[in-house]
Amino acid sequence: MNRRDYLLRKFGLSMVTIFVVVIINFLLFRVLPGDPVRAVVGRNVRISAQTQQALREQFGLDKPVFPDQFFDTLGQWAQGNLGVSWSLRRPVSEVLMSKLWNTVLLIGLGQLLSIIFGVILGLLAGWKRKTAIDVGALTFSLIAWAIPTFWLGIILLAAGSTWFGLPTGGIVSPINVGKPLYTVIPDVARHLILPTFTLTILYLGEYMLIMRSSILEVLSEDYILTAKAKGMSHWQVLWKHALKNAMLPIVTLIALNLGFTVSGAIYIETVFSYDGLGKLFQTALTKQDYPLLQGAFLLLAVSVIIANMAADVLYAVLDPRVKES
Amino acid sequence: MKRNLLYVLVLVTLLLSACGGGTAPTATSATEAPASGISDATLKIGWIGKPDTLNPAYAFLTESYTIFDLIYSTLVTESADGTYVGMLAKDWSVSEDGLTWTYHLKDGIQWHNGEPFTAGQLAWAINAIMKDPDGWAASANYTGGFKEVTAPDDKTLVIVTEYPIANMDYRTSFLYAVYPPDFETFTTSEDLQNFTNFNAIGTGPFKLNTFDKDTGVLLLGANPAYFDGAPKIGGVIFQTFDNTDAMIQALKVGDIDLVNEVPASAFETVKGFENVTASAIDGRYFNELIINSVDPNNDPAPTGNPALADPAVRLAIAHSINKQDIVEVVAQGLATPGDTIVPPTLGGGFWHSPNIKEIPFDTAEAGRVLEDAGYVLGSDGVRAKGDLRLEFRLQFPSDSAVYPRIADLMAGWFAQAGMKATPEAVDPDALVAATTPAGDYDLVLWGWGPDPDPDFILSVMTTDQFVDGGWSDSGYHNPEYDQLYLDQQQIVDKAERQKVVWKMQEMVFNDRPYIVMYYEKMLQAYRSDRFTGFIESPLGIESAQSLLSVTAVK
Repeated sequence: MNRRDYLLRKFGLSMVTIFVVVIINFLLFRVLPGDPVRAVVGRNVRISAQTQQALREQFGLDKPVFPDQFFDTLGQWAQGNLGVSWSLRRPVSEVLMSKLWNTVLLIGLGQLLSIIFGVILGLLAGWKRKTAIDVGALTFSLIAWAIPTFWLGIILLAAGSTWFGLPTGGIVSPINVGKPLYTVIPDVARHLILPTFTLTILYLGEYMLIMRSSILEVLSEDYILTAKAKGMSHWQVLWKHALKNAMLPIVTLIALNLGFTVSGAIYIETVFSYDGLGKLFQTALTKQDYPLLQGAFLLLAVSVIIANMAADVLYAVLDPRVKES
Repeated sequence: MKRNLLYVLVLVTLLLSACGGGTAPTATSATEAPASGISDATLKIGWIGKPDTLNPAYAFLTESYTIFDLIYSTLVTESADGTYVGMLAKDWSVSEDGLTWTYHLKDGIQWHNGEPFTAGQLAWAINAIMKDPDGWAASANYTGGFKEVTAPDDKTLVIVTEYPIANMDYRTSFLYAVYPPDFETFTTSEDLQNFTNFNAIGTGPFKLNTFDKDTGVLLLGANPAYFDGAPKIGGVIFQTFDNTDAMIQALKVGDIDLVNEVPASAFETVKGFENVTASAIDGRYFNELIINSVDPNNDPAPTGNPALADPAVRLAIAHSINKQDIVEVVAQGLATPGDTIVPPTLGGGFWHSPNIKEIPFDTAEAGRVLEDAGYVLGSDGVRAKGDLRLEFRLQFPSDSAVYPRIADLMAGWFAQAGMKATPEAVDPDALVAATTPAGDYDLVLWGWGPDPDPDFILSVMTTDQFVDGGWSDSGYHNPEYDQLYLDQQQIVDKAERQKVVWKMQEMVFNDRPYIVMYYEKMLQAYRSDRFTGFIESPLGIESAQSLLSVTAVK
């Protein structure tokens, strides 16, 4: 099978997966107990039973789930229209896009930093096994991995705002709200420091631990011994032979983590009042906002599938054996 | 070997400089911030939540109404002491038959864009609600019974009603003067509801400068042309926090100047902050124990323990609730024990019945009441009369931090009287479904935030509301009460209406579909080193009236 066929097959399978996800999502949310109209208006003194009924009809909830609601939704989606959010009263695609970039900015930056530092730390620890560096890095990583997100966030927030005057929440200061982000970069950077730092610490441990065990395994291989016997330096062995092979499990982990990037980091977003997708998912769920929920889960499914495809491709590049099989 | 080492060194240096690059702008922007052009006298308010929309047709969240209060005006408005005073209206009167209301407007009222405001525009806005009640979902309740709204001239508005409307002042205090050109173009209810009105134009004391629909940040500027005198501060900023700890920290370090809802658990801490004034003000919220009172002939049949229909059992339950303990232990003293469904803050105390005789906490007395009614103590500590065992489900919405603790306390008191209550947290949506109109429960802990007028909270106890989408969760059904409810809606004379409202509260108190446990206090805090002059009232220190009197500390 050549590479084009391989990719086409992957792509076809992905489309099938997305279609299945769409159907499951449609049914899943409708199985939830409760009434979406009640969830949207809340225990609200202003809304009469009659008005609620009018909203129910407007949302199409008075019709049977199957076939009416199902085909209405499917027909809309086929036209590329994700519908209008019931609780926010804005087009779902517009809402999702506005949060997507915020989330990608925060999680992308945090992931990048934690990958860089995690890999370096893991490499050092594995290479200098059973030294003070190894024990120190291992202890730090285990603690970092075990810390509850919420707690670490709050502690960093209190410390950062008290001692360094860093902002207590948001993406920009209120006075800069509404301006394009690139025009207020210093302000955005200030707001990103604490959440990014929190995210980096939390993910760093995971990368470090995987990298360390992976490099230890590789270093015990025969070809490393051969390389050493050929008279290569430690650096050359590590750089040319060990690192590339040890990176394989890390690539898997990165792909998995990046796929879920768009689901946001709900705890971090909550602690730092960061306007991202994680919070949006939560709101959509509590409001039983079907159009928004369906759109959000579609986005999530698509990005997980894309990340996995990317990982497959990357594997083929890193490991020739994958390509051959 | 040396070359490779060099690579690593370069990589590390690059990384370090990248990190340095990330922090460098911090210092600059931190020093730049105070000179950014925003006046010192901008009051920064932090809150949890944000307005869902600024369109009064489809606004369901309290936050939206906080903003409407600042940017819009109404004919009359509730003042800090609970009475109604003119806002757009200079004076108003009602005809002998109680059917025709005439409002004379104040002089010099203009829209935020400088155009003059006319009575005809307000008449248009009210007529729009009457013509499309489904579209104006959030306002339609206020125009029920309106027959005709006209403006004979630019300064006079006349509302003719189909029947006398007792709470006209309350109703007109929620009919916002929206800017007609913004709302004239919609042809369907759905189009109207999808309009988010993010550039709202009003006549209120503050103008909307920016509303970021994503983050919820609102920037309001003072309206120098406000007809009742301009605010003394330059503007107001609302910033949304997703968690209370961060918000309290922001108040502490001075990122924000005011918190309109301090969580009870943080109140003592906030009181200890330097330069912060924290206040606990009597509010409107109350928490109650709901006793299943659904008619046994209801369809579907209620599943509540039939023993709950026995007045003796209800009395015993009332004797087994230590309201004082709940206030002190669970609400940390930041509440007052409650009795009726009309809290003492409505109308400045005018509507709260003074004739209630509280049932004292006394589990021994509860036991005696049950003994006399024939409920005999079993070997397992639970009383029973024939098949009727005094064993109840005690459910509460799972999103509450206080109800689980109240439920635990209550189960202990009930046991002393020979009753068994099993606490159970239930998803709020599922609880709505279980209560209205199913009656599938025994006892439920829940709360209400009544409107300023007693009409709404009284309606919660009417038989008509025990339908799908209605507000009755107790299933209380009393034809006499239902009739009194209809009567009070049409008694325009306040003193006469008061008598009926008092009687209705007493009926609910004595029949006990609800046992009101306590009235919550509103916990608010502000930076006293920066601002002063807030008015503390059930309206909140962030109300328009309060912010009109606030001045910056020099």
